[in-house]
Amino acid sequence: MPAQIVSLVVNGRSQEFIARPGSTLLGSLRDSLGLMAAKRGCAQGSCGTCTVLLDGAPVPSCLVAVETVDGRSVRTLEGVARDGRLDEVQSAFIDGFATQCGFCTAGMIMVAEALLDRDRDPSRADVVEAISGNVCRCTGYEPIVAAILEAARRRRDRAPGAAPAAAGAAPAAAGSTG
Amino acid sequence: MSYRADPIDKTFFSAERTDDLAVVGTVVQRSDALGHVTGRTRFFEDLAPPDLLHLKMFRSQRHHARFSNLDLAAALATPGVVRILTAADIPNNLYTPLKLIGVGPDDEPILAEDTVRYLGDPICAVLAETEAAAYQAVGRITVDYTDLPAVFDVEEALAEGAPIVNEYHGRNYFSYEGHHCRRVRFGDVEQAFAEADHVFEWRYQSAPIEHAPTETTGCIVVPQPDGRLRIHSDTQACFFTLDNTALILRTPFNKLRIVGGTVGGGFGGKVDVVVEPVACVASMLTDRPVKFVYSRYEEMQVSSPRAAERIYIKDAVRADGRITGRKITLYVDAGAYARHSPYGTTKAAAHLPGPYTIPNVWVDAHCVFTNRTPSSAMRGFGVTIADFALESQMDRIARALAMDPLRLRLINAYRDGDLKAHRKVAEGTALVEVIQKAAAMVGHELPEAYRRMSSTSREATSREGA
Amino acid sequence: MITAVRVPASVDAAVDLAARGGWIMGGGTIVMPQVNTGAVGDIELISLRRAGLGGIQPDGGSVRIGAATTLAEVGEHAELGFLAAAVHAIAAPSIRNLATVGGNLFAPQPYGDFAACLLALDATVGIAGPAGPRQCPVDELFRTGPAAGELVTSVTVPLPPAGAWFFHKAMRRKLNSAAIVAVAAVVRTDGGVVTAARIALGGVAPRPVRAFAAERSLTGRPLDRAAVAAAGQAAQADIDPADDAYASAWYRRRVLPVHLRRALLADPPIG
Repeated sequence: MPAQIVSLVVNGRSQEFIARPGSTLLGSLRDSLGLMAAKRGCAQGSCGTCTVLLDGAPVPSCLVAVETVDGRSVRTLEGVARDGRLDEVQSAFIDGFATQCGFCTAGMIMVAEALLDRDRDPSRADVVEAISGNVCRCTGYEPIVAAILEAARRRRDRAPGAAPAAAGAAPAAAGSTG
Repeated sequence: MSYRADPIDKTFFSAERTDDLAVVGTVVQRSDALGHVTGRTRFFEDLAPPDLLHLKMFRSQRHHARFSNLDLAAALATPGVVRILTAADIPNNLYTPLKLIGVGPDDEPILAEDTVRYLGDPICAVLAETEAAAYQAVGRITVDYTDLPAVFDVEEALAEGAPIVNEYHGRNYFSYEGHHCRRVRFGDVEQAFAEADHVFEWRYQSAPIEHAPTETTGCIVVPQPDGRLRIHSDTQACFFTLDNTALILRTPFNKLRIVGGTVGGGFGGKVDVVVEPVACVASMLTDRPVKFVYSRYEEMQVSSPRAAERIYIKDAVRADGRITGRKITLYVDAGAYARHSPYGTTKAAAHLPGPYTIPNVWVDAHCVFTNRTPSSAMRGFGVTIADFALESQMDRIARALAMDPLRLRLINAYRDGDLKAHRKVAEGTALVEVIQKAAAMVGHELPEAYRRMSSTSREATSREGA
Repeated sequence: MITAVRVPASVDAAVDLAARGGWIMGGGTIVMPQVNTGAVGDIELISLRRAGLGGIQPDGGSVRIGAATTLAEVGEHAELGFLAAAVHAIAAPSIRNLATVGGNLFAPQPYGDFAACLLALDATVGIAGPAGPRQCPVDELFRTGPAAGELVTSVTVPLPPAGAWFFHKAMRRKLNSAAIVAVAAVVRTDGGVVTAARIALGGVAPRPVRAFAAERSLTGRPLDRAAVAAAGQAAQADIDPADDAYASAWYRRRVLPVHLRRALLADPPIG
């Protein structure tokens, strides 16, 4: 059974590992590289918990035969915070109670990152479409949508060169529910 | 963005209130949110012990059957397969989770001996070096089934001559200290029906509901240097799991350690002890870590759903809307095994007739066995579906009487000091105030007499009413 | 289980591999769920991701789309703007970033909405195989399937006249759900009267189907409620729906005329 050496750039770092036929990008990230943020939820591409960015585009990593993406670049949740500083999406998720059990969170944050990388001012409908492949059984989605819109606002308001504000630092608008 | 942090409305029940709430009403960040947004929260499957074996289950393809000629040869010959466990490998192959609180009988095998009772009942467990090899081997197992008559409907299961689903009970209902159901008897409902201005009777039916958590059921069992087993599980019920597993393994309780509490969605669906015991046996017999995690198909088809229920409610109602008698027959479809359903059915019985003071109440709540997937807990276990039926009934009565459904409920709501049907005195009731406040919030007009009602005292009931 | 994953660097290499047996895989959205269940026999996967089958080229009044082009790329291409709404009705963005135009041709019903679009558009499929390259109309591909060892290399889509393209997909949810009924149509009119109609339906038969009876009914009539209602009734003869988790066959039959009307007359949904 011919295993292959696969190279990927993961969160900016070159990685190499051996992949047996049938290995998925998800399985390789978790089992070969120890990157556990992307989750196994369905193995069918329906739940979105395995979502990572492949050359910047969100994909269900459980459906990617890893040999077919040899040499490409992957971004996972582990690569979002910089030097331990949470980015605006992560902070907004905390501030907006957009997590409960946490199992969908990695996938949700990655699709949000991809959305905000292409669109600095998404509409609510844009956000809803962006997360339409991600299932959350806990929050009812509204806090997640609100958190992504808030993250977009915070990122637009951030002065060039400044670091993202920490969770809880942004002033609350009186009486608003986000 | 801000989360609601309205001050607490202290005008309700002010005489009973001590003003010492320091946290309720404030905004407090979740302690686990940081781990979730950085991906550092460790769910059970995020453990990666070296030398891990994968367990995949071969399950019944029939609803009710005897089986024989289980042929494991092709499966065992599959490259990567290490061992296949059958019923003979389980030290104590019969249990029921509630045995820990003295509820019996044991009625559920960990691995089927010669009989399967629902589609998906586990028969044997393949252990392999890779998940793919385990799945491939499962696909190569063959067995001969002799179909037995099956029953899928609660009333058909209780009818004369119905096939027996679970011979450990010997009848298709759970026996409560010799009684065929949970019973509530309060006053005389037949007298109430005789004297009523109206008698309304309707039937309610719910389907099983699958929790569908984004994380499926599973565990990883790791042998420890001191000879113990450490179980990493996404169960909601660590101690149920620990203690039942010890009884199944016939091992002292202190030989097991369970690491849990991080659940990727439970909602009551991860309270059964379905993966840990067999994974522990596998780990003991191979001296290797073993992972057993449900596929999405297993989570949908095999894992316990909320029970389907059928509920008949017959009410004696006065012209002024006061309900004077309520007779309820409720059937919980426990599926093929009891699990927690006897407890859920008890909760249902205790919850009836709902938050209303009704002087005559009769309840029979049956825990019924059928050849469906064994059901178990889900949010508001035992109570939620009963509430669907009860509140639908209230709305239908209101419609029949051409009465505001909120006023109907206010008339009948229990007050402090009322005796409930199961002989507990109601205290701390607040249904009246909740309805009044909700009506005010949505601009639903209530006449003054209804706005003056209070949970702490019952105004005179009157035929001249509001 | 999977014995090898091949990633050929050319169409010829892919054809050689396919001749030896093996499962052709575009984006993996249809193949990998099956691989992940472990219920596959010993088989090789042949990925078309690097075989040079990408690209969207305008070509006169048509657009040639490489078979490995993703649905996301189609949805964002300026020349294919008329298809954007249809593409956005398919699955979710992350699936569309993988799923290919070629693969969608083989998606089992009730999936395969893009295939229904291609049928309505009278697309031509480019095929490579042991007997060399050939072209065939997409209807024929649906009827006969590819021959052993063949794979789809491209789809060429004639651009419909402005205002002649119609698409509507009825789903149980607003996003990311399979078709209860999908209607894709190119309907040409002259002075409001239908001169030619190609209507394809998804979700209502084992494959995407042309609604021939509905087309005949509509042709020569004004494109109005009465004509579309008659076409909806006629379309009952064109379909062979099945029950599935999304809708029953009965329901699909029952609502087909409604969704035909919503597609062709842009009737807003009720409520």
